[in-house]
Amino acid sequence: MNSHYSILEHPADIGIEAHGKNLKEAFRHAAVALMSVIVDLSNVEARESREVELSSNDFEQLLVNWLAEVLYYYDGQHFVGKEFTIKRFSSYKLTATIKGEPFSDTKHRSKLDVKAITYHQIVVREDNQGGYVKVFVDI
Amino acid sequence: MIKKLNDYRYIIPTSYKQGMRIEGLIYANDDLIRQIEKDQTKDQVANVATLPGLVGRSLAMPDAHQGYGFCIGGVAAADLEEGVVSAGGVGFDINCGVRLLASQFEEKDVRQKLEQLLNQLFRDIPCGTGRKGLLEVTQSELDNVLREGAQWAVKKKYGREEDIARIEDYGRIPDADPSLVSSRAKDRGHHQLGTLGSGNHFLEIQIVREVFEEEVAEKFGLHKDQVVVLIHSGSRGLGHQVCTDYLDIMQAGMRKYGISVIDRQLACVPITSKEGQDYLKAMAAAANFAFANRQMMTHWVREGFQRVVGNGNLNIVYDVCHNIAKNEEYEIDGTKKRVLVHRKGATRAFPKGHPVLPGELQDVGQPVLIPGSMGTCSYVLVGTEQAMKETFGSSCHGAGRAKSRTQAKKETTAEELLRDLKGKGILVKGQTRSGLTEEKPDAYKDVSQVVEVVHGAGIAKKVAKLVPIAVMKG
Repeated sequence: MNSHYSILEHPADIGIEAHGKNLKEAFRHAAVALMSVIVDLSNVEARESREVELSSNDFEQLLVNWLAEVLYYYDGQHFVGKEFTIKRFSSYKLTATIKGEPFSDTKHRSKLDVKAITYHQIVVREDNQGGYVKVFVDI
Repeated sequence: MIKKLNDYRYIIPTSYKQGMRIEGLIYANDDLIRQIEKDQTKDQVANVATLPGLVGRSLAMPDAHQGYGFCIGGVAAADLEEGVVSAGGVGFDINCGVRLLASQFEEKDVRQKLEQLLNQLFRDIPCGTGRKGLLEVTQSELDNVLREGAQWAVKKKYGREEDIARIEDYGRIPDADPSLVSSRAKDRGHHQLGTLGSGNHFLEIQIVREVFEEEVAEKFGLHKDQVVVLIHSGSRGLGHQVCTDYLDIMQAGMRKYGISVIDRQLACVPITSKEGQDYLKAMAAAANFAFANRQMMTHWVREGFQRVVGNGNLNIVYDVCHNIAKNEEYEIDGTKKRVLVHRKGATRAFPKGHPVLPGELQDVGQPVLIPGSMGTCSYVLVGTEQAMKETFGSSCHGAGRAKSRTQAKKETTAEELLRDLKGKGILVKGQTRSGLTEEKPDAYKDVSQVVEVVHGAGIAKKVAKLVPIAVMKG
């Protein structure tokens, strides 16, 4: 478990809560939290990278789209993201680099299939305490 | 306040929440309503009732539990002209569903070879997290799968011609348009065709333990002590991505059409809009993927049986969708009307004589398959006229989750669970230990109680009870 994020209870599914010194950091930690739910990241090497560019209508949608992108790279491209660098982050746009490696049945251990990112009780907040996000994923 | 109407029905009046346009109705007994009231289910039923253009009531089945936007176990019908379609009203796992295969064997014929049989099926049918299918289809072949569903699979020799009549929509929802399914959804799906998946998906070898309606059971091809196989699976990553994509499209659509909703997960657009029509065509494509998926697994189950215990026939009793939106006709206030029925964690339950049923089911009605939680029991029911009158031809879909995965894991170790199931004569094979404990039987509501409510309310009638002897989990 990482001090920047925690995994929440929900009767059928699970949630992710992430903090950071600002929203950008919270988004980054939420991505790590998501991938740590899906794959045991301990032996995943950050040796390849993928670029992401997203724009949305509000921060909630940007968060959902960001995590959906990370999930897509895993489920659609079999690329396990481990390190996430958000390079540009503004009102409803982000560009980022995802570092990780292709999933290997022999090397890596998958933990849980995540179907999708939801808007259920979604929270995106930034105040003088820093950035905070909460999102539930469907499993 | 919700009001008890009778032993099996609770009404949520429109005064319960501002903006409700129709009443809510929850099917439950006193015990189940207490469980349902523990989470946000009734608020979600009320939230659905605020959507524009719905007809009848916003319904929740006795297995209902909290979902996203819509509760799991919800049914809502929309007027085709005035109403909306919601991607969340179908859910992420489009055409998650259940298929039941009836063998010619009895328990004594398979008992000695049960472990070998389970191992064979575990080898032949990919399951669990991140597992790839046995074949990767090309882009153009995947489009054929999306257009033709189980009919594609049968054409490719995964099954028999006669299988088709025993699948909801004959295994193929028309109007599917693969060009409206994103390349991302296809990326997530093309290597997952013919895979069971993980989570609550499973395959069980079961025995028909009890028959409640001899005549109906016989017409379904079921009899006491018979070995049957139940497959619970869906449209995998492809369907999940279709829902994700169209939630986004519908959010933009809501701004365009001036619709606002209480919960973003209820995002919806007019059925008549381009976005609404596109979604329904993409949803149909994802549903067809799920039909093909279950058809391929059926083929491998038959092969596995053939190899280990001999030809068991394994005819399809039926295959039902749990998560779907369908254009169907009902009599509403004395006139026949077509509506779009959203079933999210609910099963179609058509009665005898319904024109869409195949000839052999015309004088008996549609089999309604209700899987229990792992290692408990499952039920076969039959659709009724009552369901046509009050639930848009719908019934429950399973047990309904009662405990979180973490709580379930905390309470029992995998070893304890396996020992317990073994004590009941049930073999279990799963990819991960945590997958087993997260899905342990008492993490779910009692499926027998759920079925008693549905039977008592008359929205489906009990035909047979099935108990597992071997379980395969993702």
